[in-house]
Amino acid sequence: MKFLFYLILVLLLVPLQTTLLPHLSVWNIKPDLGLVAAALIGLFAGELEGLLVGLTIGWVLSLFSAGELWLSLVTNGGIGLLAGFLGRQVSQVTSFSLGGMLLLVSLVSGLFAAINFKGLDMPQMWWMVESIVIPQACFDGAVGAGFYWLLSRRFDLTRLRTDRITGLL
Amino acid sequence: MWMAHSSSPYGTRRIALACFALLLVSIFLFPNQIQGLLQYLGEPVGYAVRIPLEAIAAVDTGIADRWEQYVALQGVREENQQLRKEIEWLRGQHSQLRESAAATERLTALLRFKEQALPTMVAAQVIGRDATNRYRTIILNKGESDGIKPDMGVVTPAGVVGRVVKTTGVSSVVLLVTDPNNAIAGLIQRTRDEGIVEGTQQGLAQLKYIPLLSTLRDGDRVVTSGLIGDFPRGLMIGTITHIDKQEGALFQSAELMPEVDVGRVEEVLVIQTSYGQSSKTGSAADLLEKPLP
Repeated sequence: MKFLFYLILVLLLVPLQTTLLPHLSVWNIKPDLGLVAAALIGLFAGELEGLLVGLTIGWVLSLFSAGELWLSLVTNGGIGLLAGFLGRQVSQVTSFSLGGMLLLVSLVSGLFAAINFKGLDMPQMWWMVESIVIPQACFDGAVGAGFYWLLSRRFDLTRLRTDRITGLL
Repeated sequence: MWMAHSSSPYGTRRIALACFALLLVSIFLFPNQIQGLLQYLGEPVGYAVRIPLEAIAAVDTGIADRWEQYVALQGVREENQQLRKEIEWLRGQHSQLRESAAATERLTALLRFKEQALPTMVAAQVIGRDATNRYRTIILNKGESDGIKPDMGVVTPAGVVGRVVKTTGVSSVVLLVTDPNNAIAGLIQRTRDEGIVEGTQQGLAQLKYIPLLSTLRDGDRVVTSGLIGDFPRGLMIGTITHIDKQEGALFQSAELMPEVDVGRVEEVLVIQTSYGQSSKTGSAADLLEKPLP
C-alpha cells in the first residue's frame, strides 16, 4: 500500500512540477515539490524511507530537467535523510523548524548549482543567487512549512511521529 | 524543541547512512557509469511518467485554449493568433530567403550549386518546462523512439528555439537559446561576421566573440552560421538590441532579442538531419564534379 502511494506520488510529481507549477510561479520562481515531499516523507516515515523516496524523486525529476543528476540525487535524498533524523531526534517539530531546514538545504543546493554553472562570472553568479537561489529557498521553506501546518491541522502529527519512533507503526 | 527519548533501534539509521555514503562515493568515483546506468533504467520510467504528464498537459492546454479563445477575447484573440503565426512564418521565410539569396550569390561563383535539400524535421509538442528554476528548458512529447537524439537543433518557423540535451524513449528536454549554458554558432546577416550565441541570466541572448572591426549596428539580424552543431545555415536567432564594445577587449559582444518567444512556444520542429547530412545533397566535391544542366 505504502509502495503504491510512493509510486503514485513520484509519477504525479513530474507533471505537477513541470506542467502545472509554471502557472503558479511567482516572479518566474516555482517551489521544488520534490524537496518538500522528500522532507515530509523522511519526517513521518523515517530516514531510510526518506532517503530512498528522495533519491527516486531526484532521479525521476532529473530525467525531465537539464540539471545535474548527482545534485538532484544528493539534494532530494539528503533532505529525506535529514528530515528522518530531525523527526527522530526532535520531539516537537514545528512548521518553522521544517521550513527552516528546507530553506537551508534548498539554499545549499542552489549555491552548488550556481557554482557548477559553466562560464558564469561573479556578477552573473551573484545575480543568479539573489534572483533565483534565495527566492527559491524561501519559497521551498514556505511551501514545506505550509504543508506541514495544513497536515498538523488535520492529523495529530506528534502522535504519528511518536508512534513511529517507539515502533508502534 | 527538545530531544525525543526514542527507543528505536539504530539499524535503520545505519543502513540509511551507509546507503547515502555508498551513493556519494559511487557518484564521485564512477560518474559516467552511474549516469549511464540511471539513464538506462530511466527508459521505462519515462514511458510510465509520460501517461500522467501528457494527460495533465492536455488538460492544461485545453483549459488554456478555452480561456484564451472563449473567455478572454473570443474572436479577436483567434484572429490575432492566426496573424501572429503567419507573421512568424513569413519572417522565418524572409530570413531564410535573404540568407539563401546571399548564399546563392557567393556560392554560384565558387561551385555549381545545383540543389539545396531541405532538412528532415520532426514536429513535437511542448508538454512541460524544466523541473527546476535554474535551467531554461522545455519538455517535448517525442524522444528516442521518434529518432530524436541529444544535440539536435529545435526550431519554429520563426527561428531557433534551442537544442536537445536529454532524451528518454518518449520525451526529450530542450535547452532554450536563452539559457546561459547554451551555445550556438551565429552569423550577423548583414556584415557576415561570426560569433557564438549564448543565453543570459536575464532570459535574453548575447552574441559573443564578434571581431573588433565588425561594423554591426542595432537592428542587425543574427542567423545560424551552420558551422557547428545541427542547425542549418540561415535560421533566424534574434535581432541585435545593444552593442558592448569595451576598450582593450579582443572582441565585442552584442545583446540579442530572440526571434522566438520561448516562453510561449507550444509546437516545435526538431531537426534530425541538416542540409549537409541529407541524403539528397551531395558533398561540395560532388557538386563541383557535376556538369551544369
